[in-house]
Amino acid sequence: MKNSANDYRLEMTGISKSFGVVSVLKNVNLKVKPGEIHALLGENGAGKSTLIKILSGVHQKDAGKVILNGEEIAPKNTHEGQVLGINVVYQELSLVNDLSVAENIYLHKLGASKSWMNWKGLIHDAQELLDSLGFKIDAAAKVKDLSIVQKQVVEIAKAISEDTKILVLDEPTTVFDPNDVKKLFQILFKLRDQGVSIIYISHHLDEIFKIADTVTVLRDGVDTGSMPISETDKDGVIHLMIGRELKDLYPVRDIKIGTVPIFQVKNLTAKNTMVHDVSFEVKPGEVLGIAGLGGSGRTETAKLIFGADKKKSGTLILEGKEIKTNSPVDAAGYQIGFVSEDRKEEGVFLPLSIRRNISVTSFKSISSKLGFINVDNEYKKVLGLIEKLNIKTPNSEVNVKNLSGGNQQKVALAKWLSIDSKVIFIDEPTRGVDVGAKIEIYNLINEVAKKGVGVVVISSDMPEIMGISDRILVMHEGTFYGELTKDQFSEENILRYSIGEPLKQYN
Amino acid sequence: MTLTLKQQLSSPAGILKFLVKYNTIFIFILLVIFSALISDVFFTSVNLSNLLKQVSGIGIISIGMLIVILTGGIDLSVGSMVALLAVTFAILVNIFALPLAILMTIVIGFGLGSISGYLVAYQKMAPFVATLALMTIARGMSFIYSKGSPVTFTTVGGQFMSDFANNSTLGIPNIAIVFFIIVICTMVMLRYNVFGRLIIAIGSNEEASRLSGIKVNKYKFLVYAISGALAATAAIIVASRTNLGSPNMGMAWELDAIAAVVIGGASLNGGKGTAINTLMGVLILGLIGNILNLLNVPSYPQQVVKGAIIIFAVLLQRFESK
Repeated sequence: MKNSANDYRLEMTGISKSFGVVSVLKNVNLKVKPGEIHALLGENGAGKSTLIKILSGVHQKDAGKVILNGEEIAPKNTHEGQVLGINVVYQELSLVNDLSVAENIYLHKLGASKSWMNWKGLIHDAQELLDSLGFKIDAAAKVKDLSIVQKQVVEIAKAISEDTKILVLDEPTTVFDPNDVKKLFQILFKLRDQGVSIIYISHHLDEIFKIADTVTVLRDGVDTGSMPISETDKDGVIHLMIGRELKDLYPVRDIKIGTVPIFQVKNLTAKNTMVHDVSFEVKPGEVLGIAGLGGSGRTETAKLIFGADKKKSGTLILEGKEIKTNSPVDAAGYQIGFVSEDRKEEGVFLPLSIRRNISVTSFKSISSKLGFINVDNEYKKVLGLIEKLNIKTPNSEVNVKNLSGGNQQKVALAKWLSIDSKVIFIDEPTRGVDVGAKIEIYNLINEVAKKGVGVVVISSDMPEIMGISDRILVMHEGTFYGELTKDQFSEENILRYSIGEPLKQYN
Repeated sequence: MTLTLKQQLSSPAGILKFLVKYNTIFIFILLVIFSALISDVFFTSVNLSNLLKQVSGIGIISIGMLIVILTGGIDLSVGSMVALLAVTFAILVNIFALPLAILMTIVIGFGLGSISGYLVAYQKMAPFVATLALMTIARGMSFIYSKGSPVTFTTVGGQFMSDFANNSTLGIPNIAIVFFIIVICTMVMLRYNVFGRLIIAIGSNEEASRLSGIKVNKYKFLVYAISGALAATAAIIVASRTNLGSPNMGMAWELDAIAAVVIGGASLNGGKGTAINTLMGVLILGLIGNILNLLNVPSYPQQVVKGAIIIFAVLLQRFESK
């Protein structure tokens, strides 16, 4: 190992990465010193995760250089990354539930070690490590019996059990209470003082200003600035995170919003998720935007209303009448639609044809009492929708898996447009969709609203949600933190509410 | 269908694609030609009629297996159910009038299938486990009720069923006609009936189905119940052929049924499979047995050949998905 000319441990320069036609990172630089906590900031989709995944070996860069301790590296998988001393604690937990804590912490070593388990040593080492972190966790316990906070700690223990040179934490504190956060910070400070370089991704600006030494901000796949934390403040960082122009991506529509709400939600609280005390209403013809950071409970709220998650308390009122949606069957019966953000897993039937996908919600209107489908009606309906939504396909019998993302999304939408929904929830309407299809989807949303449907759109894409909504509610930690009317729309305001900050007062 | 048959067959690549797509029918035809060349007895009406009689029972439970597999499940209990329901039918037909005995047997089959359905759909038990339990329960019960020995038909009704099961109409064995009717009904149901379309949707993506407002549990429950009712139908047929119900009937039939469905191109993950292809799968398995019998191959090597054919058929299907 030779000494580098400067005092950086890690230098990522000119990193670019595209997925298909979507360019995620453009010429990004990130430089981290030994023994510093380096905050990586940016909105959802700014490219933070992709950058980290390139560092750790999950993805491979298209262009640019990664230099670790003066030597160029290009890990082809996470194992190679780990060997180089790069460890990542991911947002989604990557633990094996049915194994013990100790096995999880040393999982990467188990495969490489001798054939027989050294249980005593394994548990002893793991326990020592956990104790040193200051959290009370039994190394012999099964991971599935741990709380979510404990799991996160195990995840961190796993990452530092190695000879770690660079430790990346992606939103590690979303599940922690303040006390745990303090403990975590102490661990991080200790590691920093031992010379570990820590890259810390978080949306909590307060945290960043408490622990970080340096900050780098990404926006739309470009790094917009990097500086010591002492040289900036919250407003400065927020400014770097936003500051785009709204493009004329968003079609103008003639808005006719009714006066009486078509759908109201009062004090809705979930049984199994963080969603609590959610209240809102949507009027016929209105497009209501729900913004917030990933993990703030937006999708969970929609699923709760749709009956896919269990409710603890709260009231739903559709057209003035109280309704109960204990299952998606109930919700669909009340003509409430839900287009899932997870298109492939929850939205479409990939191996089935477009026709079969679309008609799955509308059999009532195209079949006889005995359940026999009137195929003529079905084709008429499906072909009509294909034409109307401009789904690009030679015919209705093409399997959905062969369509592009944008066209798959249109199929998912068509499923709910084929029945006359009264309220429709659309979660991330254009994720992974190219620009052309985006505009078509926006037009579609407008058209649906025009028919007097109450449309609720959940989106992480700020320009999008400002471009299409009549009103925006912002979620923060499981409930609505604030509401923005059209004249208040700005990325800064959305971001402030998203991270639990009040709006800035202008005179 | 974007291409007409003629267009498809106009290039070598097209022909290959065509063969891969309709591989079960293709294998079936090859086997028929091979059988006819190799044995003079094969194309006699006696042999063909025997072949159809032999496959009808397994064929009917294969259809039940198909609709269960379409939802992504599996029903291991059908073989034992055939034994239990054959014994049940033999007892009932000796007591009650024939139509009542038939009806009762089918209702009992539906009820037994409902137990699996309930465990899978509402208790979230793994289909493999729930139906494995039902499999041993049904086999045990069939021995208990029959006291270990076959129950012979003794009444006029029993005699009528026996005659029906062993005779033919227009040259086609009556029980094969029953089987074909069930295949046709299932084809129609899977294509034109909401029930059929929804079970395919569930097998293709259960979560998306749930979020589309489909009563997933109800349909999962029903497919096992229907599989039970079809096992009852198969039981009545096989009992009637031999004029008795025996607790040893249907041994390992669940495996043949699964094999037939898989040879027919269905995916064990659910969402993919058709009745006509399952029919082909049943006939292919039957043909292999038949031709090996005609060639005087002992039964153990027969099993080896059967297994090899299953592997070959499934490997061929992998081309299709590419």
